[in-house]
Amino acid sequence: MPVEVIMPKVDMDMTTGRILVWHVGEGERVSRGTPLFDIETDKAAMEVEAEAEGFLHHRVPEGAEVPIGQPVAWIYAEGEAVGPPPGAASATGAIPPAAASATGAIPPAAGRGGGGDGSGATAGAAPAAIGAPRAGPTETGAEGRPAGLRATPAARRLAREAGLDLATLQGSGPRGRIQGADVRARLETAMSPVPSPAAGFTPEAGGLSVTRRGAGRGRPVVLLHGFASDSLSWAPVEAHLGDRPILRIDLPAHGKSPLLAVRSFAELAALMRDTIDRLDLAEFDLVGHSLGGALALALADTRPRRIAALTLIAPAGLGPQIAGDVLRGICAATRPESLAPWLRMLVADERLISDGYVRQAMAGRACAQLRAAQAALAGILFPDGVQAFDLRAALDRVGMPTRIIWGRRDAVIPWRHALTAPGRVALHLFPELGHVPHLERPDAIAPLLRGGMS
Amino acid sequence: MPEPAAAAEDNRPYIIRAYGPDALRGALLRMFLIRNFEEAAEASYMRGLVHGTMHLSIGQEAVAVGACLGLTESDKITSTHRGHGHCIAKGADVGRMFAEFFGKETGYCRGRGGSMHIADPAKGNLGANGIVGGGLPIAVGSALSAKRLGTGAVTVCFFGDGANNEGAFHEALNMAAIWKLPVVFLCENNRYGMSTSTERSTAVPRVALRAAAYAMPGVTVDGNDISAVAEAVDAATARGRAGEGPSLVECLTYRWRGHSKSDRNRYRSREEIEAWMARDPIPRFAALLVAHGIMSEDEVRAAEAEAERVIEAGLEFARAGPDPSVADLTRDVYTTEAP
Amino acid sequence: MTTAGGGVRELSYAEALREAMDIALASDPRVILMGEDIGVYGGAFQVTGDLVHRYGEDRVIDTPISELGGAGVAIGAAMTGLRPIYEFQFSDFATLAMEQIVNQAAKIRYMLGGAVSVPVVMRFPAGSGTGAAAQHSQSLEAWFGHVPGLKVVQPSTPADAKGLLLAALEDPDPVLIFEHKLLYKMKGPVPEGHYTVPIGKAAIRRPGRDLCIVAGAIMVHRALEAAEALSAEGIEAEVIDLRSIRPIDRDTILDAVRRTGRLICVYEGVKTLGIGAEISAMVAESDAFDFLDAPIIRLGGAEAPIPYNPELEKAAVPQVPDIVAAARALAGGRL
Repeated sequence: MPVEVIMPKVDMDMTTGRILVWHVGEGERVSRGTPLFDIETDKAAMEVEAEAEGFLHHRVPEGAEVPIGQPVAWIYAEGEAVGPPPGAASATGAIPPAAASATGAIPPAAGRGGGGDGSGATAGAAPAAIGAPRAGPTETGAEGRPAGLRATPAARRLAREAGLDLATLQGSGPRGRIQGADVRARLETAMSPVPSPAAGFTPEAGGLSVTRRGAGRGRPVVLLHGFASDSLSWAPVEAHLGDRPILRIDLPAHGKSPLLAVRSFAELAALMRDTIDRLDLAEFDLVGHSLGGALALALADTRPRRIAALTLIAPAGLGPQIAGDVLRGICAATRPESLAPWLRMLVADERLISDGYVRQAMAGRACAQLRAAQAALAGILFPDGVQAFDLRAALDRVGMPTRIIWGRRDAVIPWRHALTAPGRVALHLFPELGHVPHLERPDAIAPLLRGGMS
Repeated sequence: MPEPAAAAEDNRPYIIRAYGPDALRGALLRMFLIRNFEEAAEASYMRGLVHGTMHLSIGQEAVAVGACLGLTESDKITSTHRGHGHCIAKGADVGRMFAEFFGKETGYCRGRGGSMHIADPAKGNLGANGIVGGGLPIAVGSALSAKRLGTGAVTVCFFGDGANNEGAFHEALNMAAIWKLPVVFLCENNRYGMSTSTERSTAVPRVALRAAAYAMPGVTVDGNDISAVAEAVDAATARGRAGEGPSLVECLTYRWRGHSKSDRNRYRSREEIEAWMARDPIPRFAALLVAHGIMSEDEVRAAEAEAERVIEAGLEFARAGPDPSVADLTRDVYTTEAP
Repeated sequence: MTTAGGGVRELSYAEALREAMDIALASDPRVILMGEDIGVYGGAFQVTGDLVHRYGEDRVIDTPISELGGAGVAIGAAMTGLRPIYEFQFSDFATLAMEQIVNQAAKIRYMLGGAVSVPVVMRFPAGSGTGAAAQHSQSLEAWFGHVPGLKVVQPSTPADAKGLLLAALEDPDPVLIFEHKLLYKMKGPVPEGHYTVPIGKAAIRRPGRDLCIVAGAIMVHRALEAAEALSAEGIEAEVIDLRSIRPIDRDTILDAVRRTGRLICVYEGVKTLGIGAEISAMVAESDAFDFLDAPIIRLGGAEAPIPYNPELEKAAVPQVPDIVAAARALAGGRL
């Protein structure tokens, strides 16, 4: 009989809790004490650990509101057959069955046996046995479209006229209804004078692109690039990182990753977390720049045990300000001439942004769908030129060695956001650098990264 | 217009005394026209040319023609659902009436009204009415206008025995009386409100008795005797024109046909119908005219043939008329279209 | 509004109506007034006042208590050359005259293929708030708005009362004027002389960007009061005075919806199947639908007869706080 994981009561007047994030994937092995999930009540967020050993199944979807005492998952002993969730017919309470199944949280029985890698321990299990890792990081991209999208006629009209996919928006109205203001905010933030056909994009599915450098030795380094950039941006600094294994992840709608429709920072973080979970790294160093920095911080907050060291370069998430015009300008640019002025704002020394550099950057942004997808993403993450997510509390929580690197001539995110960091976080503030220190002075930044990895 | 009252020793019927030969010949022609019109209408209905139902006044021709005989074109009438006779008596063109039956743009109501709403305001006919008693207050209003505007017109308000039990009857007669308006309430008592006889529906044996309640004269006459009808109505219009107020004239008559084309006639006996058909008002008037040397038998036959000819021409005119355009569905809801 | 010039002074709504009738009686011999106790009594609400003394009993005609007959007489007179203004003592009594209003006045022109017009004006003191209970407090204007052939207006100000009554007299078709009884004593600027307010045109009484409130008669004033309170909270409500129910000013309403994206219909008649339903449906069927950024709200009369008790009576129809609360919820994105 599997062991029930319930929504615990952690507050006196708590009646329900929301699953903020799962730390353990469907079907993955857990031990006693393994952090299972974070919950959010109206007062606090906290981590809930496993009280049994085995394999986790039947997770309720992230974001689900669950009454206290109701099961949120089941832990199966090794070899125990996984059927439908025990007591599913009666005990699931507030969770509508459709919501649970729509997430794909319950893997089909056929999903076992991924080519022998890592599944050897459970190979002899009964049919529908547990423990089979899934083939690739594909789950999140396709998940979570509600059957009937709730939007006002005005919002629908505005989106229709702008060629915008409403599914990429977060509704601010009652029950998440998308209202005219939501669309307008998106259009004002993310949309440029680019004609509307280019403004929309067709969301794709699939996992995020992960590229690696060599097998190498030592702890792997995971690199998360910033908004409107891609994994290639790490090249200058990688040259100075010795032979450590390097893994780079492209953000959705960036680099080689698919044009996923992302509706919130939380969803983006979940996507990234899912991707990293699937990399099956026991321990790694995490480096993130700008938006990638914010994601790195969010990951560190929810995967504290696996991240040995955290480096945040000009990270987002530590204050509201961000240069919305730069984001808009980059997203809107269809020619090197219109892209160059914005790229120059990223750096302190504009000579770095050569014509060749700009042409190459524009070539990487040639696809209108990609630009539109990035614009949509900017609209969600940075509506009205404001950072719509706040990770300052996470920065207070994370306990691993953490450093923040910032150029004091950053014209995109004010470097002073760094000053919100608690005392144990190391600050490296470069007076002569802008928003991308690792591009301007890879030689100066790389040693800091190495230092954090020792 | 009726001529001045004849000497007391003149015992000829009123109509002969009061009207000249042309008027009398015209009256007979109109009775034939009504009869032929109704028969042709019935035939058209049975051939499927008429969309709705219709209420035929065959047998009641003397009332319509007698009541309208003394009216001018400036005098008004309000009519009832059984109003074809009133219409023709007030001078309507039968071609346009048929056209209305056929729903043609050339009909009196341009195909919007049908059998129950034929009107001819130019001739003083304010219209038939689908509502029993609906025309009574309107007739009083028409009389009020005549009085206010000093036109000297009278209004003859046709209504059936059924309407005398409507509230509108009471309100209209009372108001006409208190304001002494030139209106003649002419009750065509054909004995049945649909299937319900006056004996079963009305507390008084004669509708005219109700005139007492409104301090107005009330008389009952033989409605199949055109002279009696004309005499009573002419007296009433004279009273109205003189500013003495309204009158109630009850004409006893009979409709040969059922209430409408869907009437299966279960409430009256064959004997009763045949007895009334034997009192056909048309041959009776024709005989009167012949007896008094106004017309010869041949002239009567010629009048009947003339009526048939007019009806045939009317039908032809009606059939040839254009149908209304669906695009004009809402035309004439308002005099001027809403801005 | 077309005006013959002259000054502007303060008149009550009842005085403005009387002035309109006075002008009409003086200038057009075809005009007559009819109604119960409109002569020496001056009308149940003193609207006709002293007109009988100036124009005589032949033109200011006291009718018997015969609403069906009286209405029918007015209709017949209108068909034959007069311009009658028929006053119902209470709009509730229109029920007694439905046959003449609905079957005759509204349809005669059409049934007769346009051969005649029925230029009758009928006046209906309407609405609740007087403690007269269920049979003397109704707001039945929507009933008549349902009937092609009638025109139905609902003036909310003294100036409109006069201008719409004079416009009604010039109109060749039946015009029904619903006058809210609580407005009779309300004062307001009224131009002197003859002028008309077009039938079928709404008036924007207050511009606003956040939402629009479409109201008629007394509800216009409640909506304006609510808009004032909302403005203090930073919510700018547009207030549209319907003035006419039939024809209804579609363009003005839809334009306001396109501009504000949020709509509240406020009317005193029973909420269900009322004016608000019509306006809501009109918006839903039009391109203005695509500008709606929140559900439409209808604030209408309770699903009950108007009660006697003053508190119950107030609760039975929309009041200022109801409008404020609805607007707040709507503008605040809580609906």
